[in-house]
Amino acid sequence: MKQLVNILDGNTFLVSDHRGDIEPSLDFPTGLFSFDTRFLSTWSLSLDGERLHALSVDSNESFRTRFFLVPGAPTHYVDAKVSVIRSRAIGDGFEEELTLLNHSGEEAEYVVHIDVAADFADLFEIKDVQRKKGHTSAAVGDKELRLAYRRKLFHRETVISTSEPAHIDVSGMTYRIRVGPHGEWTTRLRVTTLVYGARGEDFRTSLPLSGGGRGPDAIRAEQNELIARAPKLGCDCQPLAGAYRQSLNDLAALRYESIALGVRLLAAGLPWFMTLFGRDSIITSLQLVPFLPELIPPTLMILAGLQGHRLDDFRDEEPGKILHELRYGETAGFEEQPHSPYYGAADTTPLFVVLLDEYERWTGDTRLVRRLEASARAALDWIDTYGDLLGTGYLWYQTRNPETGLRNQCWKDSWDGISYRDGRLPDFPRATCELQGYAYDAKIRGARLARKVWGDPAYADRLEREAAELKTRFNRDFWIPEREHYALALDAEGRHVDALSSNIGHLLWSGIVDETRAGRIAEHLLGPRLFSGWGVRTLADDQGRYNPVGYHVGTVWPFDNSIIAWGLWRYGFREEAGRICDAMVAASRFFDGRLPEAFAGYERGLTDYPVEYPTACSPQAWSAGTPLLLLRVMLGLEPQDEHLIIDPAVPEGMGRIELLDIPGRWGHVDALGRSRTPHDHPGD
Amino acid sequence: MTEATERFFESLPARAPEVLRSPVSGTMQIDLSHGSHTVHWLVKLRPGAIEVSHDRRPADAIWYSSEELFERLVTGRAQAISAVFRNESSFSGDVVLLLAFRRFFPDPPGTRDPREIARDQAGRLR
Repeated sequence: MKQLVNILDGNTFLVSDHRGDIEPSLDFPTGLFSFDTRFLSTWSLSLDGERLHALSVDSNESFRTRFFLVPGAPTHYVDAKVSVIRSRAIGDGFEEELTLLNHSGEEAEYVVHIDVAADFADLFEIKDVQRKKGHTSAAVGDKELRLAYRRKLFHRETVISTSEPAHIDVSGMTYRIRVGPHGEWTTRLRVTTLVYGARGEDFRTSLPLSGGGRGPDAIRAEQNELIARAPKLGCDCQPLAGAYRQSLNDLAALRYESIALGVRLLAAGLPWFMTLFGRDSIITSLQLVPFLPELIPPTLMILAGLQGHRLDDFRDEEPGKILHELRYGETAGFEEQPHSPYYGAADTTPLFVVLLDEYERWTGDTRLVRRLEASARAALDWIDTYGDLLGTGYLWYQTRNPETGLRNQCWKDSWDGISYRDGRLPDFPRATCELQGYAYDAKIRGARLARKVWGDPAYADRLEREAAELKTRFNRDFWIPEREHYALALDAEGRHVDALSSNIGHLLWSGIVDETRAGRIAEHLLGPRLFSGWGVRTLADDQGRYNPVGYHVGTVWPFDNSIIAWGLWRYGFREEAGRICDAMVAASRFFDGRLPEAFAGYERGLTDYPVEYPTACSPQAWSAGTPLLLLRVMLGLEPQDEHLIIDPAVPEGMGRIELLDIPGRWGHVDALGRSRTPHDHPGD
Repeated sequence: MTEATERFFESLPARAPEVLRSPVSGTMQIDLSHGSHTVHWLVKLRPGAIEVSHDRRPADAIWYSSEELFERLVTGRAQAISAVFRNESSFSGDVVLLLAFRRFFPDPPGTRDPREIARDQAGRLR
């Protein structure tokens, strides 16, 4: 794959090639995107009719890039008499400063040209190009080009303006310029994206927080402020320090303004998932509770605000259900896709309750818990009503939208994500094991909130009784005695879907695993079939569908590993949890501290480095959250009433880990951990 | 004004205890247009209760829709959020009020309980 360069601010992002050019691409979303619409699909620069070549690219900041370019192919640029600096930043659209430098001793004439086009594709149309149902138009103005798309009342516009005079036509801008000896010439191009509401206003301008977009300086200030608020990490292990810093940067960059609620939320991942996902936002929030708890209330509030309230087969919606995915584009608006929002997830609803409780345990914010009481109760009701599709006491899923709905409604949501050991795919509905763990945990945590905040001890008793019954039932029905692990799922007939998968690690996190079986589960997770040396694979390497580069059937997912490490810790397997932490930190070195969505499941000894999964999203919110949760696991941070328990178990060789100013109901506290053996990788 | 819309507004006070469970309070003006003619409704929401009138006074939010779209919403044949995304309907002010109010809209006509369907199907499997 060609190397791509991206910059982003929330759900506005730009993906170009290494020269800074955008050319229409069918397999990958290149271009300038905002709110799921491509506002620029072509943006390519030439000098005297010749394309340019990059000498270097400076992309240290998430929202700004600088390209140093010379004309011609890489073989003959050595003696270039002219060069171009292309400096761009995102924020309230996108701005590019083009500077041409004449390195010769004589005045020279140049023709600088930029090809421009906007196809206004919806993100869902990129892979599967359809004929646009609306029409596009272009208008040339004084120093600007306006490209518009209209379909009924749906109206998007891209406005490209230039600071210097140019010859403008509907496909681009041309500058004929003279530059003196050793002189330079600059033009500033500004690309504004407009999303029109009725009455002709850009409806983003009415958002209370942003005033309709932030410039690069505001983005930088806000990101710096967020990073400054997070606890300070001091440690011997440089890869860990680098991963922590990168994570905070990426989490700051992935925050975006929600049209629907006027609050700042976290987008899930670049480039396919730059929007609100129930599952991703909840898991990321769980990872960052000890670090940036103030990011969590907006997420809980919007998930509650958009909670399902009716039966809608197209959207897989039911009363009380928490959403899966919200999209703002044309296909969502015209109901060609169900994301307005789409509710095809069986795990988000229990996880919503889990997050609410975890957040309160850290922050003591009982006000929010009271405010969300009705939503949390509706979520808990959903578990026992619509969630239990077959009435057997388990959470099941089956889409009612066979055309555009999701077949698998758990985190492994690709079509083949759930299989038997021999590779066959089960019928629907399916009840995957981790869903039952989440339901158990939601009941336990819901009971705590009912007793402590809602003043309803009878409800608390009922939830605890139901949780205990669920645990007993689950340990009877999901355990495969001859293999000594839990089934990945039950099929429609209640039989074991018997694959060995990473899902059993989530069961430890939820606490549904019988104490006597936890040791066996830990052995499986760290055993050679699941553990690659870089982490726990999604599927054991001797299963029918195992594929080291299969999205949910053999790759290693950092977020999955962070939850598994948390689970191992919960059951006291500190050394095993530490091995996962150590492997993840080691892997992060090969991605410059930025753990991707997933990497390949090859044995560590085979490659010496983690092999990148071809189309992994990066940055990805729950991968960025992974180093944070690993820090919590290694330092053993657990709130108990008004105190923070610190019980470190730092893996051997990692040396000292010091986390200062951990926020919570105790104010701010510091945690220090040290491995028993000294830091032994000075070169790391 | 269509009969379905009139009936919908009449039914709201009785349904509010069941529907408005979250602590959301505020007033929303609903402007329903038919050609050049616009009918203004004002709903005042609070937990467990709603007041409906044609009063004209400042509101925390305004929601614009055609009469025709609103009739489809109150009969379950359209969905409010996608209508806003395709700009067939628009909104200004406190979005929390819209999110609370949309809970009064019914299921699409003819929707069956998914549990019945799944259990029928499972019954056939066994």
